[in-house]
Amino acid sequence: MAKILIVAEHRDGKLKKSTFELVGASASAGNETHVALLGEGVADLAKEIGNYGANKVHVAQSAALKLYNAEAYTGVLAELAKGISPDVILASHTPTGRDFMPRLARRLDVGLASDCVTLAFEGTGIKVRRPVYSGKATAEVEFLGSGPRMATIRANALGLGKPDAGKSAESITATANVGETKTKTTDVVKGSSARPDVTEAAIVVSGGRALKGAENFKIIEEMADVLGAAVGASRAAVDAGYRPHRDQVGQTGKVVSPALYIACGISGAIQHLAGMRTSKTIVAINTDAEAPIYQIADYGVVGDLFQVVPALTDEFKKIKEH
Amino acid sequence: MTWQTFAFVLIAGFAFSYSGLKFKTLFELMRKHQGTSPKLDRIPERIQTAIANVLGQSAVNRKQPIGLLHTVIFWGFIIISIGTVEQFASTIHSAANFEFIGLGNYALLVRIQDFFTTAILVAVLGAFYRRIVVQPAGLGVSKDANVVLTFTGTLMVAILLMNAFFIVGHNPPYAASMPVSNALAGVIRGYGFSQTTNQVLFTAWKWIHMLLVLGFSMYIPSSKHLHILAAGPNTFLRKLDRAKAMRPIDFTNESLTQYGAAKITDFSWKDTLDYYSCTECGRCQDLCPAWNTGKELSPKKLIVDLKSNLYQNKSAILSGKSEEVGPIVDGKITEGVIWACTSCRACEVACPVFIEHTDKIYETRRNLVMMESKFPAEVQTVFKNMETNYSPWAFAASDRANWAEGLEVKTMAEVGSADGVDVLLWVGCAGSFDDRNKKVLRSFVSLLKKASVKFAILGTEEQCTGDAARRIGNEYLFQTLATANIETLNRYAVKKVVTACPHCFNILKNEYKDFGGKYEVVHHSQYISQMIREGKLKPAANLSAKVTFHDSCYLGRWNNVYDQPRAVLEAVPGLQLVEMKNNHDQSMCCGAGGGRMWMEETVGKRVNITRTEQALETGASVIAAACPFCMTMMNDGVKAKDKQDSVKVMDLAELMDQATT
Amino acid sequence: MNIYVCIKQVPDTETKIKLNADSSGIDPAGIKWIMSPYDEFAVEEALRLKEKNAGSTVTVLSAGPVRVVEAIRTALAMGCDNGIHVEIAEAADNNIAAKALAGALKKEAKVDIVFTGKEAIDDGAAQTSQLIAEHFGMPCVTVVLGIEYGSTSLKCKREVEGGAVEMIETSLPALIAAQKGLNEPRYASLPNIMKAKKKEVKTLKSADVGVSDGDQKIRYKNFQLPPPKQAGKKIAGDASAQAKELVRALHEEAKVV
Repeated sequence: MAKILIVAEHRDGKLKKSTFELVGASASAGNETHVALLGEGVADLAKEIGNYGANKVHVAQSAALKLYNAEAYTGVLAELAKGISPDVILASHTPTGRDFMPRLARRLDVGLASDCVTLAFEGTGIKVRRPVYSGKATAEVEFLGSGPRMATIRANALGLGKPDAGKSAESITATANVGETKTKTTDVVKGSSARPDVTEAAIVVSGGRALKGAENFKIIEEMADVLGAAVGASRAAVDAGYRPHRDQVGQTGKVVSPALYIACGISGAIQHLAGMRTSKTIVAINTDAEAPIYQIADYGVVGDLFQVVPALTDEFKKIKEH
Repeated sequence: MTWQTFAFVLIAGFAFSYSGLKFKTLFELMRKHQGTSPKLDRIPERIQTAIANVLGQSAVNRKQPIGLLHTVIFWGFIIISIGTVEQFASTIHSAANFEFIGLGNYALLVRIQDFFTTAILVAVLGAFYRRIVVQPAGLGVSKDANVVLTFTGTLMVAILLMNAFFIVGHNPPYAASMPVSNALAGVIRGYGFSQTTNQVLFTAWKWIHMLLVLGFSMYIPSSKHLHILAAGPNTFLRKLDRAKAMRPIDFTNESLTQYGAAKITDFSWKDTLDYYSCTECGRCQDLCPAWNTGKELSPKKLIVDLKSNLYQNKSAILSGKSEEVGPIVDGKITEGVIWACTSCRACEVACPVFIEHTDKIYETRRNLVMMESKFPAEVQTVFKNMETNYSPWAFAASDRANWAEGLEVKTMAEVGSADGVDVLLWVGCAGSFDDRNKKVLRSFVSLLKKASVKFAILGTEEQCTGDAARRIGNEYLFQTLATANIETLNRYAVKKVVTACPHCFNILKNEYKDFGGKYEVVHHSQYISQMIREGKLKPAANLSAKVTFHDSCYLGRWNNVYDQPRAVLEAVPGLQLVEMKNNHDQSMCCGAGGGRMWMEETVGKRVNITRTEQALETGASVIAAACPFCMTMMNDGVKAKDKQDSVKVMDLAELMDQATT
Repeated sequence: MNIYVCIKQVPDTETKIKLNADSSGIDPAGIKWIMSPYDEFAVEEALRLKEKNAGSTVTVLSAGPVRVVEAIRTALAMGCDNGIHVEIAEAADNNIAAKALAGALKKEAKVDIVFTGKEAIDDGAAQTSQLIAEHFGMPCVTVVLGIEYGSTSLKCKREVEGGAVEMIETSLPALIAAQKGLNEPRYASLPNIMKAKKKEVKTLKSADVGVSDGDQKIRYKNFQLPPPKQAGKKIAGDASAQAKELVRALHEEAKVV
């Protein structure tokens, strides 16, 4: 049994699922689970954290913590960590977590294992494994020297447990001394489209000439929105005017390598393949069972995309709801 | 000395001084160029081509009826010049005429001249009719042409009238030998002019004739009619092998600071001769796949604009102020023009005066790419891939031999040396990585095995030949790849190479020589054709289908390989070969050459779609190709026209493999 | 302005990864080494800043074994003025690399701004940028998509989830970790490639920058290759059956949704 400190993450007044993931994993392994909750006006969120099995929630509030700021977070967490002396410090490998955790590790003069996909608690330490070389291999991380073991965990890697309304955590007010910072976070601006850029998205849904019209891309967009994915297109679809050139995936368009690539009505000629073949998981939906795309697809669906895609969207919705 | 002599000497002196100065400027401009001069080699061949095309008007006559009209005017002018010289001489000294050759001979001379003067007039009227009434597409209105034709026509009229008045006034014994002039004389007699009037009118037309000639000589230097002086030498100095295109750059030469052509003076004096030779006939434009599909590039306009660029920069060039010479890409010539070219060389085949359009474009690309890093954005990935993975596609170099899995194909590393094989099979990047083209390679391997040919591949030691890099203008990257390949090929003492890609074929055969790589290289169509001839392959199965062959530019126009691919098709029982409207050296490019395979086509109509339409017009159910890029382009074209269920694009090797056991 | 760029040399993306004999790392044989792609945006930004401020210099640094000098030359070919190679062991971790680079920077007369890529494509740890800044003692903004330059401060656009951006102001000197899309990296012109061969690359040893083995905080071990990619499965049934089965597989097997 170890003393674990987890840094909670929230956006727009809601805690992230990945926080619950970490809390649940720590608690169900029988650890003394502390959670650091930084922000302004976030005290109520402690309750939900408790439902996942945390023992103590340290709430540090200040106007300077309202918007995420690396220096502010690092300073407050370093002080908190010195007070708690945890064996392990965890955060999710999100844009926020991956930004401050290395700085915190430096303040505490320890190492950090980032973007881990497996996590096991062993005594007062952790065993973690992370992908390297764009996922072509994985490696275990050995922590050298003494001090808390720090890791950021990839979202969805551990799986989400079920909350228990009967469980609760002790809420403790923590000091939030921020002091002078050289950086200031002045605003958070929402994207014009919630859809990520096709080259950086974790999931890409692409349509080809078989969509037969720009309006028909609606079904692709709906699936993408449910998945939080980017929308791509084959050159044939762009040439036919169904999508703008910036959506084009391929040799002369964009090269993408998402965790999941869903190709709808795309045959898989070499120019398109050159743009997406390193995707981790490839799904192909096409009426032609002999289409070359099936050579590189992990999952092939031979069928009419106008039926399969909406059916898939419904199924994805079900998963996302839970 | 008569007043006429005095006046003539004065006027002629002025006219010839004026045009002389202008010619001097043209010559000076020619000399102030930095580029490499062409080699003056193979003189006998050069004399032969000059005779055939200048005297014999061979290239001009590829297009009719204009070819005939031009031949008449060309030969006519040479012949009637005898009369002009006689006219000038006798004006200086009245007794200086050519009658000393004897009456009989002189009568023949004037008969021929009378005929040609008339013939030229008829031809000029024909030319006017063509320009004004017929108005061929792409010819446009040319003030210059109209001036020249008017000059010429009026000159002929003046000669005939001068002759007619002479006949009326002097009644020479050879009058009947000049039927047209004589007939005119008869008409004039009808007017009953007095002797004096007649003499005046004769003198008037004589002077009109001479002034027109002198005036013409003053006009020529600033007109496209300059071609009469430039075209002959240009033909003599033409590049004899169209395929041997791009000059290598010596990157170890530290004194070189400019790579490629940024200014007009970076070209050579021979390029200037090209501009001087251009008659703006438009034949190059007629066949250009870029121009015909709505792109900015017209080979004719390019040459005209380069000439205009030269003249714009005249004072800077002549005064040696090279910093003041403007760029080639000057707004009239745009980057769009430079990138639209597919290097098909149809323009060069069409040009009757052997202008070399393509090399100017590719030298300009070299400057854009290597000096200014200005090129279509999508090409940067291609360069990076070739630098890191030795292929324009981002596939791992270590996967290069995977296409051959299960085929029991040996690598040179396994064989040890080229002595152990009959031929090295150069696979190329498409054969290694493009799923469609891998099938072609597999078919060809099957054929080689059927014919019991001992062969090997380089496997993962093979790198991209660098053709795309060179055509796009990245000579440095090309040389990096070429030297690596040559080192490997020479290490195995490779002598003979066969490849299924015309781009690899062309560059290995013709361009690797400059870097120490001398090999006997054949294209697979030639190799298959030979195997059939030697009885090693016996196509037996009947593949009943109508087939049309799409000539690849790098096989056909670049290397004159037209017959062997057709021989292969004709050897397959049941295949009925039909030709597209534009075939052999008139064939239309598929659009992928000149590195354009790797660039987006955003202007005008797709080149490949236009060519596919030409193929579909033949009614063939099979489009036969011999190149991986042509195959991709035609395939995309067939799909775009939604004909993929009725028309198949197949490689020669695949067809032959199907037809043999 | 004295502009600095820290780059890392990594195996090319297409490289086939093979493990060494005791699975303590990868087999370096046959690897094609390149400058990490995100670093290109950093180099480009540094060069553009130099072009906007006459009299500025761009120094490119890289920590690693001798082979990394080639990556430094690539950056020099793009237009950087001089290079610094800090020699550290092949198996050094992010902390050693960061401390070494910060140590090299501290030896410079004046550091106005430092650019890095947001992460290196070999380990994808996304730590070294922040660690360099911490060791040096300057603020750091990561995953930067856009920069507005002031005379003594910067306004940065930092990419976060959901397509949103955080607007962050920072004083100078600062370290900026570049994200893709910050700019379009230039292709090295040939004259610059030629010049790069002659530009100066200074070498510093670990001891010169105050780094020792004790600075190593993590070590990788027990490398594993993922199970070989299975041949694709064709999912049978009608549209709704296919959809159900596919989503199940993606959620439970592939774990991508």
